[in-house]
Amino acid sequence: MTASETIDPISLAVFTAALSAIAEEMGAALQRSSYSPNIKERLDFSCAVFDPEGQMIAQAAHIPAHLGSMPDSVRTALDQCAPFAPGDVVILNDPYLGGNHLPDITLVSPVFLTDDPTSELLGFVANRAHHADVGGISPGSMPIATELFQEGIIIPPIKLWEGDKLNQAALRLILRNVRTPDERRGDLLAQYAANRTGIRRLREVVARYGTTTYRKLSHAVLDYGERLAREAVRLIPPGTYRFTDFLDDDGTSDEPVPIAVTVTADGETLVVDFSGTASERPGTINTVETVTKSAVYYVLRCLMPEDTPMNHGVFRVVRIIAPPGTVVNARPQRAVAGGNVETSQRIVDVLFGALAQALPDLIPAASQGTMNNITIGGIDPRTGQPFAYYETLGGGMGARPGLDGLSGIHVHMSNTRNTPVEALEYAYPLRVTRYALREGSGGHGRFRGGDGLIRELEFLTDAEVTLLTERRRFAPWGLQGGESGMTGRNLFIRQSTDGKEETITLRSKHRLTVHRGDRIRIETPGGGGWGTAG
Amino acid sequence: MRVGVEMVVVGVDTGGTFTDFVVLDGKRIVVHKELSTPEDPVRAILQGLAALGLQDRVEWLVHGSTVATNAVLERRGARTGLLTTAGFRDVLEIGRQNRPRLYNLRQVKPAPLVPREWRREARERLDECGRILLPLEEEDVLRAIGEFRAAGVESVAICFLFAFANPTHERRAAELLREAGFWVSASHEVLPEYREYERTSTTVLNAYVGPLMGRYLERLGSALPPGVVLHVMQSNGGVLSGRTAAREAVRTLLSGPAAGVVGARAVARSAGYDRVISFDMGGTSTDVCLIDGVPRERSEGTIGEFPVRMPMLDIHTVGAGGGSIAWLDGGGVLHVGPRSAGADPGPAAYGKGGEEPTVTDAAVVLGWLVPDAFLGGAMELDVDAAWRVIGRIAGILRKGEEEAALGIMEVAEANMAGAIRVVSVARGEDPREYGLVAFGGAGPMVACRLASKLHIPAVIIPPTPGVLSALGLLTTDLIRDYLRTVMVPAESAQPSLQSALADLTAQAVRDLSSDGILPRDATFHPALDLRYHGQSYDLTVPFTGDTQTAVHRFHKLHERLYGYAEPTEPVTVVNVRLRVIVPARRIRWEPAPTPHLWEPTPIDQRSIILELHDNIVREQVPRFQRDQLGPGAILVGPALVTQYDTTIVIPPGWRGMVDGNENIVLHSREVEAERHTSGKGR
Repeated sequence: MTASETIDPISLAVFTAALSAIAEEMGAALQRSSYSPNIKERLDFSCAVFDPEGQMIAQAAHIPAHLGSMPDSVRTALDQCAPFAPGDVVILNDPYLGGNHLPDITLVSPVFLTDDPTSELLGFVANRAHHADVGGISPGSMPIATELFQEGIIIPPIKLWEGDKLNQAALRLILRNVRTPDERRGDLLAQYAANRTGIRRLREVVARYGTTTYRKLSHAVLDYGERLAREAVRLIPPGTYRFTDFLDDDGTSDEPVPIAVTVTADGETLVVDFSGTASERPGTINTVETVTKSAVYYVLRCLMPEDTPMNHGVFRVVRIIAPPGTVVNARPQRAVAGGNVETSQRIVDVLFGALAQALPDLIPAASQGTMNNITIGGIDPRTGQPFAYYETLGGGMGARPGLDGLSGIHVHMSNTRNTPVEALEYAYPLRVTRYALREGSGGHGRFRGGDGLIRELEFLTDAEVTLLTERRRFAPWGLQGGESGMTGRNLFIRQSTDGKEETITLRSKHRLTVHRGDRIRIETPGGGGWGTAG
Repeated sequence: MRVGVEMVVVGVDTGGTFTDFVVLDGKRIVVHKELSTPEDPVRAILQGLAALGLQDRVEWLVHGSTVATNAVLERRGARTGLLTTAGFRDVLEIGRQNRPRLYNLRQVKPAPLVPREWRREARERLDECGRILLPLEEEDVLRAIGEFRAAGVESVAICFLFAFANPTHERRAAELLREAGFWVSASHEVLPEYREYERTSTTVLNAYVGPLMGRYLERLGSALPPGVVLHVMQSNGGVLSGRTAAREAVRTLLSGPAAGVVGARAVARSAGYDRVISFDMGGTSTDVCLIDGVPRERSEGTIGEFPVRMPMLDIHTVGAGGGSIAWLDGGGVLHVGPRSAGADPGPAAYGKGGEEPTVTDAAVVLGWLVPDAFLGGAMELDVDAAWRVIGRIAGILRKGEEEAALGIMEVAEANMAGAIRVVSVARGEDPREYGLVAFGGAGPMVACRLASKLHIPAVIIPPTPGVLSALGLLTTDLIRDYLRTVMVPAESAQPSLQSALADLTAQAVRDLSSDGILPRDATFHPALDLRYHGQSYDLTVPFTGDTQTAVHRFHKLHERLYGYAEPTEPVTVVNVRLRVIVPARRIRWEPAPTPHLWEPTPIDQRSIILELHDNIVREQVPRFQRDQLGPGAILVGPALVTQYDTTIVIPPGWRGMVDGNENIVLHSREVEAERHTSGKGR
């Protein structure tokens, strides 16, 4: 706290704006020059700036799942690849070494004052982007797997560029392991360009202030983040708050997966302890610790003012205990693709469940708690070419004290956009037969949970379908007497041999082969209600 | 300024507080302001015309209207129904599934303009090629008509899946609804483009505001002398005939800041600049737009969080203006805006009871605003009140008033610099290669300081910065945009493109003739939206009738914008576009010859706060009155220039002159020296 005493609120405001402009401009550069729609349109990426010790001082995050994990990338890059020279760029996606799941590839660049290797190290810039395919057993690299090796190519932290010289051999190795190498190359070069932008802009900012003032200001920025986070923590009455919720299953058995948390607040800090959580599982729902941290930071961020800058100072107010070997801190080489998208949602649910006891007038009931991941692959009869379609579906948001939950919307750790029906039918041999709100699926209460969605698809060709969904058994809970939202349902509809229509309920995680004319109907969960209905 | 045709043309821009008039009478330009009459905007227009003695003489009236915009923001539009393909009536409410704010537990989404009970479905279905899979069940339409009637619905939007590929079903439904007496807006007429949510939203908005806009324009038309040509500003920077504006009111929804940008472009040209950033700083917000010869455009915007998919100027808005309030957050950092003191009570300096420190109050403390020269002296500023509220926040900051006031400016300027970076740097453009056209009440006050921060070498301040939007109206062309989604591989596209373009052209010619315009007075600009197969973003390139040339242009444009191209990859034609322009012959702007230079005499000396080499100093500076500065007048900073609707602060290191068109053009020695040494000059 001492450094910031001498920094005045005006300089800090201007400096904070300058730092976040760096992260934003890196993002704009990445978006502009990237190749895949996932980055260009769905904005599935994050950019951040770090100090020389690897503490994050600014972040432009569109994706909550990246909140806590970017700093871990820089830390492992420091551990594994130091010393650095100007022009070095570290690449990584290894979830057990600073990544969160394999499709998210991170590039970390040291920033020196000049191109002279003896010049001062100012810090790091890094960006992470979700790549549409990184190999593995299924297109799109979001399989129902049982070990990491099935999920795609694993890239530990290595220097892909050394002194601005690209390691062609390493790049060739990576590209040989993915299904769409040209697109991957384009996106990686865009990520490189984004870091170049960050380096140039950070040097400009340092030039404006001088290195001494810059150092002082970046420490002050961290203290500022800490003060804002501490304000939020102070609102939580001191005490110990416990909550347990369940994942339906891990896709390999029907056994529920408990996630338990104990939140202890003392008015200054939070201790978030996941002891009591299920052991890691063979199926895909394991998360690495970094994703668990992201979920915790997401919840903390929701308690803070909306335009708060996100930096390492914020993290100082929380201590996270995630016992190794549990589904919230899996050990190598567990499968983790689903953990990032589904388990992260349940971690948020248990945190809010615990905090609702402390902050009953603020915390919402449980939201749909899943992203409803659907992957469909096959051969498009119109072109004879293979196709792979990946979609996630919104659902009901939990009711808030004083407000109904929103309907048909992505909640908490996800916020990507849908594929329009008309875009989908141009691109894939599928027909959407219904896309509607699932009326009455939100939990009753004084304030109603938001409704889930119904999306029904007809297959115009034979195809392989993978469903990675949650909340098909354990419903999103209500609060203060509000009722639960309805669980989701995955339905398969086909003509049986006697010509009648037959409807089969599928498991929450399911892989099946479908035929032309079959339909699948996904009904997503409603949000929990809040308060007793009057 | 050089001026064209001999006729009386009036630009009327209706704003929240004032209705601005710029009259072009022969070669003379007259400016007038009238207090707006929001409950009936026609009244202020008639009062203004009467005050100008023009009620019988006006021949051409170009109007910037907020009637449609306000109807949406205040939800006062027509009671609207929606008819969709069976299974899809909730598309309007679901949107794209994303939530507006990531981390806000209390966020709300505005209720859709059509509630669920007035969203009805009809059985029908087309495939992506427009082939009929299920014919329209007319009984469903008739049942919906009965339900709409019972509910008192006035206006109906129709949006069927893939109707742009084959409008047969929508046409039939529209026919039935129109026969039943409803105001109808069908998606294939409003926006024949794929993506059902954006098309539905745009069509619903059109249905929602159409009847209201139609009645308003009818009343305005009948209040004006017979034979007056009435044009209405639209979001794309052009105007529409009054008749079209009533039918396609959705095109006017985001027109508010567009006229100012068009005006800025005209002013920049008259000063000899092609590449500028328009900087319009008002009371509550600041609008910026990049103009590279023509203003940057984009294809979608939002109003009240509802998407509007229409070509529009790429204007970026930040919530920081003269009335923005300075405050400290829980972490002890100073913020300015987005909350604003508005016009009432306004900044403390207005003396109407405002008790929170604003940018305007800071400017008073710094001496930048001259108390008895505000609005030409019509409103004396309360200097004590300004010092009092700035003093309060200065106490919390543990600083002197002047230092705190300068801090508030710094933070406000950081917000605005951010906005300018969004429209330039973030789009791959270097602001150092642009000039800054500053207007709005507060723009010229901070323009030079802002330009220094962004290394922008030149600042241009038009003669009437407070009414630039109204002036812009007089320089707009009549622009009509047409589009149709085709979604075909480029290699086999030629026949379908020719036929789509022929359809669009025929439609355009019909529309022109219904406005009494001959096709030969218009220019036609066909274009294609192209993308690499499998991508979901596209680029627009001109189409001269040959697909191959267009594809070649696409690769080159892709290379330029994104740094790479894939010449061997298959390309898809997404949309065919046609823009029809009927050039305005109202006003012509050309750079005037460099005038003979002279040194003006200040009207007094003012003591103001300045920054000099990072030190805060108080200095005596000369003040000039703008109407005493003619062409050739030399201005050297530090100095102040006051005029009726704004104050110009010229910091140390900036100098310039009034050009032959009465624009003040200022340059920074420092920025120019930098450009020289870094070889950035053009």
